[in-house]
Amino acid sequence: MPAALDAIVAELSDSDRQERIDLLIDFARNLPPLPDRLAAQRDAAHRVEECQSPVYLFVELLGGHVALFAEAPIEAPTVRGFVSLLLEGLNGATVQEILSVPNDLVERCALPEVLGMLRVRGLSGVLRRIKGEVTRAAMAAGGPDQGSATRAARDEGRAGDQQRDHP
Amino acid sequence: MGEPYAHPDALVSADWVQEHLKDPKVRIVESDEDLLLYDLGHIPGAVRIDWQGDLQDQIVRDYIGAEKFAELCSRNGIAPDTTVVFYGDKSNWWACYAFWAFTLFGHPNCKIMNGGRKLWIDQGRPVSTEIPRYPATKYTVAGDNEARIRAFRDEVLAHIKAKRPLIDVRSPKEFTGELLHMEEYPQEGSLRGGHIPGAKNVPWSRAVNEDGTFKSVEELREIYQRELALKPGDDVIAYCRIGERSSLTWFVLTYLLGFPNVRNYDGSWTEWGNLVRVPVAKGA
Repeated sequence: MPAALDAIVAELSDSDRQERIDLLIDFARNLPPLPDRLAAQRDAAHRVEECQSPVYLFVELLGGHVALFAEAPIEAPTVRGFVSLLLEGLNGATVQEILSVPNDLVERCALPEVLGMLRVRGLSGVLRRIKGEVTRAAMAAGGPDQGSATRAARDEGRAGDQQRDHP
Repeated sequence: MGEPYAHPDALVSADWVQEHLKDPKVRIVESDEDLLLYDLGHIPGAVRIDWQGDLQDQIVRDYIGAEKFAELCSRNGIAPDTTVVFYGDKSNWWACYAFWAFTLFGHPNCKIMNGGRKLWIDQGRPVSTEIPRYPATKYTVAGDNEARIRAFRDEVLAHIKAKRPLIDVRSPKEFTGELLHMEEYPQEGSLRGGHIPGAKNVPWSRAVNEDGTFKSVEELREIYQRELALKPGDDVIAYCRIGERSSLTWFVLTYLLGFPNVRNYDGSWTEWGNLVRVPVAKGA
């Protein structure tokens, strides 16, 4: 897991309930706006369907490093906060690092205790979506550098499917 | 001005709430789908009551018991004679759900703030991030209205046999069985799609306006009494997926149209669509 994300997970899991809420609120408030060039591309293809609220995600690959951009409404602070947390923890990471983020990240952040089980399942969908988009971007980029990443992505995709079939 | 609702006392305006912010006999309660909205800013002095964390038992799929309910009221400064005003996101789904749960325990004086959280914010009314503290009250649970307003699956089976009216308030695609969950709510899935035989589909959203306020009594009557041919004395059961959207319909029928015999089947499709060998109808 990228060091930045690791630090966020540690901070959340070491906090008490109200501190976790406050941290998520801070993340929600600090989500940077989409750059204008991406704001124009908010369409169904970039919408994160796993979320109830309109959340848009953009993944770019620059020299083996991932740049993530997202928009989520402030009226849905939980998902906006989690998206913002993922962006802060994952931006600049490599494809491999992102694909190695554990699928139980939401639990590691100790969010089910705060939010309840029904609410957190939607959040895990955001991470799955990021991994899926990163995999797609890596495959589209191809090249020797992304070759191993692409294989890892396929393996991860399979592991993910199995997990979904047997929750 | 149109005709007043059947029980106009059950609904208050944002203006009314703003005038009663400091009224010690009134407690404002926020209930949301998104838990963090309250922390982002709420009506000054409002407390948060969460449908998952506060009103539901954390182990068994059920509501908390009377003792826990009394504790919940006590720590939120709600006395037996306090007027409790609920508001929230999603056109007051969860506010209606909390209202319904409070009614289960016989709390006598509950109200919904028309328009909910969105209208309050859109109108630029005051919000606060301060979490209020109220002195604990002595709360005794007034009574048990479960038999009157809550339906269980065996009662729903009996209801089908008796050909009594059932309202399915989910989206049309959930009703026909095309979708196994509400669009964008994959966490609330079921093994079978469709609806309870005999149920009529009237999505909850038809009862509210764009701004989250309830439609007028004439408009509501047009939907439920003319289109659906319900009569005020009918024994009606409403359901959705987990019982939150149908508690809004329960509120509309009971308090805005004055139907005295409406129950909410809170097991809803997440129970029915997973039950073995119960009848299921597919298609429109």
